[in-house]
Amino acid sequence: MLFFLARRVGMMLLTALCLTVLVFYLTNLPAKLETLAKTQAGARISDAEVASWLERNGYGAPMPVRYGEWLGVVPGWVHESPDGTLRGRCIARAADPAEAPTYCGLLQGYWGWSTRFNDAVGSVIATRLGATGMLMLWVMIVMVPSALAVGVLAGMREGSRADRTLSTGAIVSTATPEYVSGVVFIAFFASSTVGLSPLLREWGLLDSPVLFQGNARSAMEGITFWNFTLPVVTIALYGMGYIARMTRASMTEVMTQQYIRTARLKGASFRAIVLKHALRNALIAPFTVIMLQFPWLLNGVVIVEVLFSYPGFGWTLVEAAGNNDIELLLACAVVAVVVVLLTQLISDIGYVYLNPRIRIS
Amino acid sequence: MEELGWGAIFARMAMQFMPVWIGLVAVFALSIGFKRRLGLYGKLFDSKVGMVGFAIVLFWLFTALFADMIATHDPLGQLRGLRNAVPGTPLPDPDGGYEYYLLGGDSRARDVFSRMVMGAREVLKIAPAATLFAFMIGITLGLPAGYFGGRLDTSLTFLANLVLAFPVILLFYLLVTPEIVETGIPMYMAAVLFLMPIIFLTVLWNSRYFVQPWKRNLYIAVTLVIGLWAYAGLAFNADPLGVWGMSPNILNVFVAVVFVNAPTVFRIVRGLTMDIKSRDYVAAGQTRGEGSWYIMLWEILPNARGPLIVDFCLRIGYTTILLGTLGFFGLGVSPESPDWGSTINDGRRLLTAFPHPALVPAFALMSLVLGLNLLADGLREESLRD
Amino acid sequence: MSNTQSTHLHPAARMYAAECRAGKLGRREFLTRATALGVSVPAAYGLLGLAAPAAKAQTPQRGGSLRMQMDIKAQRDPRTWDWSELANVCRGWLEYLVAYERDGSLSPVLLESWEASDDATEYTLRVRSGVTWNNGDPLTAAHVAHNIERWADASVEGNSMAGRMGAIAEDGKLRDGAIEIVDDLTLRLHLSSPDIAIIVNMSDYPAAVVHPSFTGDDPVANPIGTGPYRPVSHQTGIGAVIERNPDHTWWNEGNGAWLDRIEFLDLGTDPSAWLAAVESGEVEILYQTTGDFIDLFDAVGMVKTEAVTASTLAVRFNQDQPPYDNVNVRRALQLAVDNEVVLELGYNDLGEVAENHHVCPIHPEYAELPPLEFDPDRAREMIAAEGLADHEFELISIDDAWQAATCDSVAAQIRDAGINIRRTILPGATFWNDWLVYPFSSTEWNMRPLGVQVLNLAYRSGVAWNEAAFANEEFDRLLEQANGIPDADERREVMRRLQEIMQEEGVLIQPYWRSLFRHAMPNVGGAEMHPTFEVRYQEYWKS
Repeated sequence: MLFFLARRVGMMLLTALCLTVLVFYLTNLPAKLETLAKTQAGARISDAEVASWLERNGYGAPMPVRYGEWLGVVPGWVHESPDGTLRGRCIARAADPAEAPTYCGLLQGYWGWSTRFNDAVGSVIATRLGATGMLMLWVMIVMVPSALAVGVLAGMREGSRADRTLSTGAIVSTATPEYVSGVVFIAFFASSTVGLSPLLREWGLLDSPVLFQGNARSAMEGITFWNFTLPVVTIALYGMGYIARMTRASMTEVMTQQYIRTARLKGASFRAIVLKHALRNALIAPFTVIMLQFPWLLNGVVIVEVLFSYPGFGWTLVEAAGNNDIELLLACAVVAVVVVLLTQLISDIGYVYLNPRIRIS
Repeated sequence: MEELGWGAIFARMAMQFMPVWIGLVAVFALSIGFKRRLGLYGKLFDSKVGMVGFAIVLFWLFTALFADMIATHDPLGQLRGLRNAVPGTPLPDPDGGYEYYLLGGDSRARDVFSRMVMGAREVLKIAPAATLFAFMIGITLGLPAGYFGGRLDTSLTFLANLVLAFPVILLFYLLVTPEIVETGIPMYMAAVLFLMPIIFLTVLWNSRYFVQPWKRNLYIAVTLVIGLWAYAGLAFNADPLGVWGMSPNILNVFVAVVFVNAPTVFRIVRGLTMDIKSRDYVAAGQTRGEGSWYIMLWEILPNARGPLIVDFCLRIGYTTILLGTLGFFGLGVSPESPDWGSTINDGRRLLTAFPHPALVPAFALMSLVLGLNLLADGLREESLRD
Repeated sequence: MSNTQSTHLHPAARMYAAECRAGKLGRREFLTRATALGVSVPAAYGLLGLAAPAAKAQTPQRGGSLRMQMDIKAQRDPRTWDWSELANVCRGWLEYLVAYERDGSLSPVLLESWEASDDATEYTLRVRSGVTWNNGDPLTAAHVAHNIERWADASVEGNSMAGRMGAIAEDGKLRDGAIEIVDDLTLRLHLSSPDIAIIVNMSDYPAAVVHPSFTGDDPVANPIGTGPYRPVSHQTGIGAVIERNPDHTWWNEGNGAWLDRIEFLDLGTDPSAWLAAVESGEVEILYQTTGDFIDLFDAVGMVKTEAVTASTLAVRFNQDQPPYDNVNVRRALQLAVDNEVVLELGYNDLGEVAENHHVCPIHPEYAELPPLEFDPDRAREMIAAEGLADHEFELISIDDAWQAATCDSVAAQIRDAGINIRRTILPGATFWNDWLVYPFSSTEWNMRPLGVQVLNLAYRSGVAWNEAAFANEEFDRLLEQANGIPDADERREVMRRLQEIMQEEGVLIQPYWRSLFRHAMPNVGGAEMHPTFEVRYQEYWKS
């Protein structure tokens, strides 16, 4: 087991390393650096100014060297301006330039500086991940139980009317991408001119102009039912259909097993059969699916966070990518890889614990 | 002229879709008539779900095919006075053209109906082709990985996981940008990726007709000539005859979509291969002394076709959604393109005031994806009954 | 605001007043130019025989907090600011020497008054007395001189003030002897050539006055300024909070700084997100509203204010790039486009039709030319005659909504004429990499008070921002001549020819002059849209 874990962690590190090299390469193409200089120093600056800005801010060295700086295996760049003031990768970190460390990279625990947010990457990522964590938590709380319930109810009696209705509902929900459902929700629930809110106001059931808030920025200060419902439901709905269908498939399979038939012949009630015998076995497959959903949900998170302007991880990723914020993007890539591989690992381990027939050799 | 009511609008739209109806009826009549002789495809017509799904998919397929006949206006043409026009608005000056904007005008005074119809063509041009390429690549790499195992499997699996670990949006943001197009990276990727189908087909024929050299040579020659011709045109935009070609923008999107889809297909194929390779008929083939590629392509692959076809349908739907996501972030395809993702994104901002420009393509996209999902479900049910 | 400007009247000001009364000069332009020469606003109105507009009818109320939607970008040295938003955040503590008002006049801020010599080569600036920095230091003439020296330093990347200080600079830095410090509160500028725009330029947003201890990085981290507010927090892309500074006595105490607190929220670039935020009560005032959203924000009960400007979108050809090196091609494409249709379909009719020469009717020297021709058939024939019937043109634009819509309209018209054209939209970050060399693309130009200013900036041979690669010997000569003619009527004669050359050479398709709009809740006062996007929140209040 320990060996297995060590191997997986090693794999994770190797994957992260390869990905960061790739991201580093793609964000450091000359044209991308020019974009960066122009977003940082002024859109209409001349080519000479671009060159001097890049040189002065440590982008002059060859790409492998700068990747090394980021990793912390090559000394950080230092630039001395004509009037003698020193600027450098590590200098900003210490009060006195003389005391600045030589190396400051990932190995030293320094994630770099975000050009877009003018802040240390580590703290940007930490805050944003926290925000996304809250969102995901609520998505899971909403999505998982309802998806399982739908799946189990549908799969209990295959081919029944309930099954047909719920299955079709699940398919429709997977066919509705977030950028459609989110927009429709905003129009329907969060507009004072169309949809539900004007009706509710007319009936005197609503005091505020809108029922739900179509913008989740205020959720940064405090999550309320009114500002968090729409983003959570938007993500949950898209992911729900898939899990529900998996659960249904698994449930129908379990329901045809010998032991269920035996239990039924014993005269156990249908309710008892479903709850005692079928459920546990039927939930093994959905568990792995839920875990593997995480990376997939990340897509939805990005769309929803942008749509509802909720500054979480996905929103940060889009901001960083749009402004070619190199070190922030690298950190985003690392975080994403860790999340994806970690959930895979949990899914594998969980599968083993749930299913006694499998043992990791 | 009067504005049209909803009844008249639907009647007129139904008229415009006439070629589609004819096509649908023809296909269904023929298919149901001969369904016992059509294998898995014929069985589809035993499943209600599958039939509904197939009908929806076929509807959009014919719409894309006959788009020129169905569309009432130029999808890019802007007419004065029709900005955000409501559905059924008559043209102030039809000038011999169609008299109405059936589903109204969008914020740039273009015909929503025609854009939706032409959008079907855009979407169905990219999504199925990209999925097909992803499948060819996934199969070409997944079969040997699953069959031989060992170091080849380890390294290919690592590469696939590498791509899969990448958040799709980040990948698109990095790959689908004008700067990257300038560097030629999409072209190099296309050069590698587009080679795979040619290799796949060549190996396919070679393994099958190894003992009939003339037949093998003929098939391989045909594959190579057509394949390399298309390859030159698609990957390098250097087709001497100018038949094949893709604008750098579309190529970029296409490559990115293939790139994110192929690893998943690879994993599926690899898993299926590992499962099937322990079956008796494979062992029988091995003892007969068949080549590895023959076994992979002509023994294992046909037996894996059920799940693959199902996944293919689902994946086209997923790719369609993915293309829309690109449109949502303003990446990729040509700006005035009527493809559904971009039009939804254009229209969504004004949804509360003018719902039709966004809802029409949104409904189209959802129905296509729904159709593909239903079709996949029907196929799955029927293939399980085999 | 108190006004103690000199009573000496510049001779040109009387001349302008005569022109204005005779209807040769717009009132707005008259105010700009008279105040630029040091005439006070009431005196300028007096020259016209009018009373200065009375103070606002409603009395501002003190207190309250205001939430405003505005982009919050990473801060940097003020002189290198390239977005008005960067300046707007800091306006509460970084003030300006002079301010450009909505009616086109200049009002004194940190300067008490200024005076130009009769030939406009020598300016005397009097620094307002009694102004202190929020660290306790008094503001002196030396501080102002230090700032002007900073502006003239062209070695700093992106310092756009350097281009505006050309008349007092030499070799990319301040010319020796260009500034003379007369006493603690007076300084004199010696210009190498007449420049009536130099004071106007000091009202531009990068000209924020900073303390001598400012080292040139982040004006929020070290907020020493003269204004009544101070920053509480500043998060790029998220928002910023500003509060009234309790430890500082503002020189203009009692005439502003009504609000206790201003919160800026950056909700991204998508107006539908702003609408959702307004509907849920998170935002009370917007930075700028465009297009269809103007009606939508009206519908949710916000009040709209408008600023008429000479801002525009220049859909220009680059004459270095074939086929646009051929004047017939450029003329043909112009012929294919009806600017009025572009204004309607691309900008919702929210402006004035322009005439492809980048001189606006609100500019004093504007000469009226015969209306533009629109003849798509001839356009197609001309394109065919150049052998380009099958050529596919490409029109590039940035991904900003109204700019993309305008270019789509231009392209649709060209297509209607039977000419092949495709559109390319580049993301904001990428667009500026090559904006000077795109063969056929659109660029947003903000307003300048004088007609010659943009022509000098963008169309004179070889200047840095000449994106059209326009080089015309006659044009350069006449422009030089126009720069030396203070009288608008005389200048108009030269200007007519300049405008004609612009049209004859087919330099650009310039569809319209934009009007700018801003929406605010009805209880927000003093926050009208400003023609150069200024957000002077020290003048805002809530009731």
